[in-house]
Amino acid sequence: MKTIAYTCPYVPAEWIAAHGLRARRLVPLPIEGTSTIPRIEGLCLYARAFVNDVAASDDVSGVVVTTMCDPMRRVFDLLVRRVDTPAFLLNVPSTWQTVAAQRLYLDELKRLGRFLVRLGGHEPDKEELIRAMLDQAHGNGVHGTGFPNAMNRVGGPTPYGHGVPLALVGGPLMLRDRVLFDVIADCGGRIVLDATETGQRGVCGPFDRRRLAEDPLMELAQAYFRLPDASRRPNSELYRWLKDQLAQSGAHGIIFHHYVWCDKWRAEFARLKEWANLPVLRLDSEGDGPIDMVRTRNRVRAFMEMFQ
Amino acid sequence: MNEAPRQITLREWDDRYERLQTRGVRQPVYGGPLGRHVADGDTRLLKLRYDSSLAALRLWNFLLTEEDRLRAARDAGKKLVGTMKDLGTVPVMAYSLDNLVAFYPDGAWWIPCVMEVNSGLLQIADSLGIDESFCPVRAMLGAFVTGTHFPIPDLLTCSVGATCDDFSAIAQRLNGLGHPILWWEIPHRRAPEVEEEAVQLPGDFSAPKGQIEFVQSELERVKTALEDLAGQSLGAEALAGGIAKANHVRWLLAQLRHLAFTATLCPMPALEMLIAEMLAIHFCSDQDETIVVLQELLEEVNLRVAAGTGYSSADAARVFWVNPVADLQVMNFLEDCGGRICGTEYLFAHALDPIPQTVPPMEALAQIALADPMVGSAADRAVRIVAEVRRFGAEAVIVSRIPGASHCALEGEIIGEIVRQECGLPVLEIEVPPLTDAMSPTLRTRLEALVETVENRRSR
Ligand code: SF4
Ligand code: SF4
Repeated sequence: MKTIAYTCPYVPAEWIAAHGLRARRLVPLPIEGTSTIPRIEGLCLYARAFVNDVAASDDVSGVVVTTMCDPMRRVFDLLVRRVDTPAFLLNVPSTWQTVAAQRLYLDELKRLGRFLVRLGGHEPDKEELIRAMLDQAHGNGVHGTGFPNAMNRVGGPTPYGHGVPLALVGGPLMLRDRVLFDVIADCGGRIVLDATETGQRGVCGPFDRRRLAEDPLMELAQAYFRLPDASRRPNSELYRWLKDQLAQSGAHGIIFHHYVWCDKWRAEFARLKEWANLPVLRLDSEGDGPIDMVRTRNRVRAFMEMFQ
Repeated sequence: MNEAPRQITLREWDDRYERLQTRGVRQPVYGGPLGRHVADGDTRLLKLRYDSSLAALRLWNFLLTEEDRLRAARDAGKKLVGTMKDLGTVPVMAYSLDNLVAFYPDGAWWIPCVMEVNSGLLQIADSLGIDESFCPVRAMLGAFVTGTHFPIPDLLTCSVGATCDDFSAIAQRLNGLGHPILWWEIPHRRAPEVEEEAVQLPGDFSAPKGQIEFVQSELERVKTALEDLAGQSLGAEALAGGIAKANHVRWLLAQLRHLAFTATLCPMPALEMLIAEMLAIHFCSDQDETIVVLQELLEEVNLRVAAGTGYSSADAARVFWVNPVADLQVMNFLEDCGGRICGTEYLFAHALDPIPQTVPPMEALAQIALADPMVGSAADRAVRIVAEVRRFGAEAVIVSRIPGASHCALEGEIIGEIVRQECGLPVLEIEVPPLTDAMSPTLRTRLEALVETVENRRSR
C-alpha cells in the first residue's frame, strides 16, 4: 500500500484511507544530516525539518502540505523543485465563518482526492471512508503508525500521577522535543492538557453518527475545518476551545511552546498571557538541536517554584 | 520646468523652495518646504537626496501630508476605511463611493525609517509581544495604539489566507486589542488542473475559474460592508468608473516606469520612482490628486527624455530591484554606486497592471486580487520577474530582504535560482533594515561589487 505523508492536522487521514492509501502523519524527528532545505535565517525549523524528513523517507509516495502558514507555503515551493516525490498543496482557508470558506475546504478535499487517484489510489469509497472515520472515533487508527499514537509519540497528556497539573500550548512539536515532557515531569510538573498541534488540539472532535452515515465527506470536512488553531482568522475558536479544555483538565499553569520563526504562534504569547488566568511560561525553541536542556530545565524549574 | 536634473539634500531643497517662492511659483494646498516635515519628527528626510524638480517636491509633499488629509476627510464627514494587506483592490471599490476614503495602515511600515526609530511605535509593538522577529509593519500596531499617525478608521478590512504570517499575526493581535476587522480570504493562487476552466490573469498568471469566483464572493462581502458604511449602494456602473480611474493611475505609472527604466539617461531617481509606484496601492488617500501628481511627474520625465538629460551616465549598471527597502536611503546608495533601476517588483506588481475592463467589474477586481505576485508561488513570482528583467533589459537583480518577513527566508533562493537559470544574470541578496547607518559601508561595498560584476560582464 502506498504511503502519503502529511503533517498538518487539517489533512484528514480518513480521506486518504478512503482512497486505499496509507496516511502517515509525519512529525519530523528531524533526521540528522538531511539538507534538502539548508538552515536559513528566518525559516521555521519545523517546516524545514518536515521537508527534509520527507526527502529522506524512501517509502513515501506522495506528500500533502497545507497553506496554513507562510513557511509551509514557501517550503512547498522548494519541495516541488528539489524532491521527486509528488506533492500537493491543500488550500486551507484561514477564515472559517463563511459558507464559502467551508465550501472551499470541501472542494480542496475533492481536489486532493483527484491527486490521490493520480498517485494510484482508487476513487474514494464511501463505505471505506465511513469505516475509517469510525476507526478514528474508536481510536483504532488510520494515521499509519496507529492513531492517535502518531501524535502521542511526541508527548500527550499524562492525566494520572503526581506533579503540578500543567497545560502545554503551542504549535507542533518535533519528535525529539518529547524530552520536554520528561523535563517537566522531573521538575515536578505533569501535562494534563497537550494543546499543541501534535497533541490533543490537532485531533478533530467526534463525528456526528447520523451525518456520517448520510454524507461522510461533508461530515469529515466540517469536523476537520473546526479544528482550532492560532492561524484561523479570527482565532477566537482557539480561545474558546482552550477555555473549555483548561477548565476540564484542571491545569494550574501553561507552558507555551513555539519555534523561533513561527510568527503565528509567537504573536499569540502576549495575548494568551493577558487572557489566561493562569501563570504562563514561554519556551521558544530553535528546534535545530536537542532542546537546550540546561536552559529549558532551569526555566521550567523556576516556573514550577511559583506553585510551591 | 526643464532644468538639468540634480539630486539635492533637504536643506538645498528648502533654499531652492524659498527662491521659487520669491519667483511666485505656486504650490498645492499641501505644498511647502520639505524641511517642515523634519519638525514633525521625520528626521530621516535629512539623510536623503531628492530630485530637484517641482514635480518631485509635489510628490514628496503629497506623501508626507497623508495624515492631515485623512483628518480633513473625517472632519468633512467622510468615512475612513483602513484596507489592510490589500494592495490595490478594496481601495478601488472604496474610491468608487464618494463619501469613503481608503488608506493603507500597513504604510506605517516606513515610519521607523522616516522617523529614525524615534516614534516609539516599535517599542509599543514590543510591549504587545510583536518583537523584531516580525517585519517592520509591526509599527502599525503602535500607530493604532497611539492614534497619532493616522485616525482610527471607521472600517478595517484585512485580506488573509495566502498572505504573509507577519501581517496576519499582527492584524490578529490588533483584533485582540478590540479593533473589529472584516477578514476576507485570498486563497493561494494555483495553476488550473486539466479538468478546470482556466482564466488568464493580469501579469500573465492563470488560475482556475473557481478561485476567481471564490475571491469575487469574498469581495462582494467587502463591498456590502463598504456600502453599509457609505450609506449608498455601489452599482456596476459606478464601480466600472472607479476601475477606469484606477486604470488611469496605472497607465500614468506604466508610462513613467517605461521611460524611467528604458531612457538612455535615467530621467527620475529610484527613490522618487518608488514613492510614485506606491501611490497606485491606495492613492495616498486622494485619488484625484494622485493623478495630478503623477501627471506632473510624467511631464517632467517626458521633458527630460526629450532633452536628453538625466542622471548618472548612459552606462550605469541596469538593476532590477525586488521588494521594497525598509530604509529609503538605500535607493540613493544604488545610484551612488553606479547603478540605476531598470525594473522593479516591490511586492505589488499587480497594483500596476491594468484592471480588466472587458469583464464585469467585481470579477475584474477578483482577477486583479488573485494576480498578486505574493499570493502564488515564489516560482510564479520569479517567472514574472524574469519577463520584466527581459523587457527592461536589466543586467543584474537585487533581492532585498525585509528583516523578519516570513516570505523572505526562502523566496530569494527560489527567485535567484530561476533568474540565474533563465537569464544568466548576477543576483545579489541583501537585507535592508529600517535604518542602515551602521551597515552602510558593507551595503555600499556589496552594491559596488555588483556594479563591477555588471561592467566586467559587458567587457567580456
Ligand atoms: S511551527 Fe508555525 S511556522 Fe512552523 S510550520 Fe508550524 S505553523 Fe508553520
Ligand atoms: S513586507 Fe512582507 S512580511 Fe512585511 S507586511 Fe509586507 S508582505 Fe508582509
